[in-house]
Amino acid sequence: MINWEKFLNIDRRWLYLLIAVVVIVPFFIRMGLPVVPSDEVRSIYNLVDSLGPDNAIFIGWDFDPGTEAENQPMGVAVLRHALDRHVPVFITAVSPLGQGLAEQGAASVFDTRIPGNFVYVPWAEWEPFRAAGYVGRDSLESAWKAAGNSLPEGARGWVFEGVDFALLGYLPYFGLVVLGMGTSIATQYPTDAYGNNLREMPMLRAHKNLREIDLAVTLAGSTACMYWVVYGTSRVGLPVAFGVTAVMATDYYPYIQSGQIVGMMGGLRGAAEYEVLEHEGGHTETTGKAYRGMDVQSLAHILIILFVILGNIAYFAGGFHKKTALKSGR
Amino acid sequence: MYETIGLWVAAILTLAVFSFLYKENPLYRFAEHVVVGSSLGYTIVITYQRVLYPRLVEPVFLHGESLVLIVPAMLGLLYVTRFFPRIAWLSRYPMAFLLGMGMGMAFPYDMQAYILRQIQATLIPLYTPGAPWYNTLGAVVIVLGTLAGLIYFFFSKPHKGPFFGFGSKVGIWIIMIGFGATFGFTVMGRISLLIGRVQFLLSDWLGLLH
Repeated sequence: MINWEKFLNIDRRWLYLLIAVVVIVPFFIRMGLPVVPSDEVRSIYNLVDSLGPDNAIFIGWDFDPGTEAENQPMGVAVLRHALDRHVPVFITAVSPLGQGLAEQGAASVFDTRIPGNFVYVPWAEWEPFRAAGYVGRDSLESAWKAAGNSLPEGARGWVFEGVDFALLGYLPYFGLVVLGMGTSIATQYPTDAYGNNLREMPMLRAHKNLREIDLAVTLAGSTACMYWVVYGTSRVGLPVAFGVTAVMATDYYPYIQSGQIVGMMGGLRGAAEYEVLEHEGGHTETTGKAYRGMDVQSLAHILIILFVILGNIAYFAGGFHKKTALKSGR
Repeated sequence: MYETIGLWVAAILTLAVFSFLYKENPLYRFAEHVVVGSSLGYTIVITYQRVLYPRLVEPVFLHGESLVLIVPAMLGLLYVTRFFPRIAWLSRYPMAFLLGMGMGMAFPYDMQAYILRQIQATLIPLYTPGAPWYNTLGAVVIVLGTLAGLIYFFFSKPHKGPFFGFGSKVGIWIIMIGFGATFGFTVMGRISLLIGRVQFLLSDWLGLLH
């Protein structure tokens, strides 16, 4: 005879232990369960893929360390894709901690110890070329190569700060910042996060305000993502895509249906789907961290479904639906 | 060197936080306080570097320009009066300014983004000739689901009869399905956060994954 009450009052630490086993073991025994990109992720990918050096996008690192596991892979994936297409990328942050995470994310793309990454050329480093009038991307890269610079083995290309990439960083009252950028980006950000004058940057000269920006991808663990829709899309028609945590995803599906956002990456799965598309499109040699976590995610979900089913069986088989409460609960 | 120290500190703090799953303990509380303290410290430094120094200290106090900035600076300083009960009322002025400005700025755009565009997205034809059947089904679910949800939250009439009774029952089902989807996503999100930490421990810290 099964003691259902004891079963329902099982010490929850046993459940934590089972979850820990299911989350750790699949990292060592890869199953390679398929990840099929959804329409809402594919639409973001297709839009970025259709852009080039004459366009520009914003990536908003609008999250804090609490949701780094979900949002950071999204940011890295979109940044990598845009840089591979030579699409200039402006990076902003709603919170001070977001700026630090943006720097970490960018550093992971610029770490040349890992094959498939980009070589970052800081603003000051290519100053002589700027002074010589090389500010167009192609002419700058040609002059840079002619000066004897060569790519390390496995690197995908150079990223010139001010031409391909600018870290604008954190500013408070971000709604006001987005509103202001609708008129002029440089009035909101006179300098980038490292103190370089933004007005001198070629990418800013070509894209002075949000009307001249082709997409803003906001990565958020809070309602901060709505700043871009409320003050960007509504005011200047800025196309916006969301990369939000799984918890928030259901809240924002209506915005896809209403056409207010281009697409959405929901949680780690959304990031994994983007990585798959990038890999299939030849923009990366391997998929990233998010894809690697998908086997684990699937197995953990199966275990939780099992917990829910067993809990319900015990609840009804023990006749607890007829009682007001269990005798003791942990 | 610094990278290695950082990795070890992050790993030890991660394990300290996970120790809470066994039971509440001083190590967990220490890690919690470190997170709060270091986040605040980092925030203060970045805010000074990115906002206060370039936008107030440098132009006003170093270059003697844009003296008008002293006005918002003084207004901001009034927040500090919260710590002195006798003059704490002064802190209401910056709050009133922010609330008024925020309300005025947000109202028209919020109305458009959160309400008007969402209503517009619900006013769709149930059947479009030539459209696939699942589009029609989707349109029916959106329109009827929205109406049923609104009926459930209409409390001026008893939820009885074919319209209010049946409508509110459908409404609660729609709402429950929404909650179920949210709960499923929540589980996915929590597991994702755990995956992120486990990946960090196994890969970045221990170097077991390649």
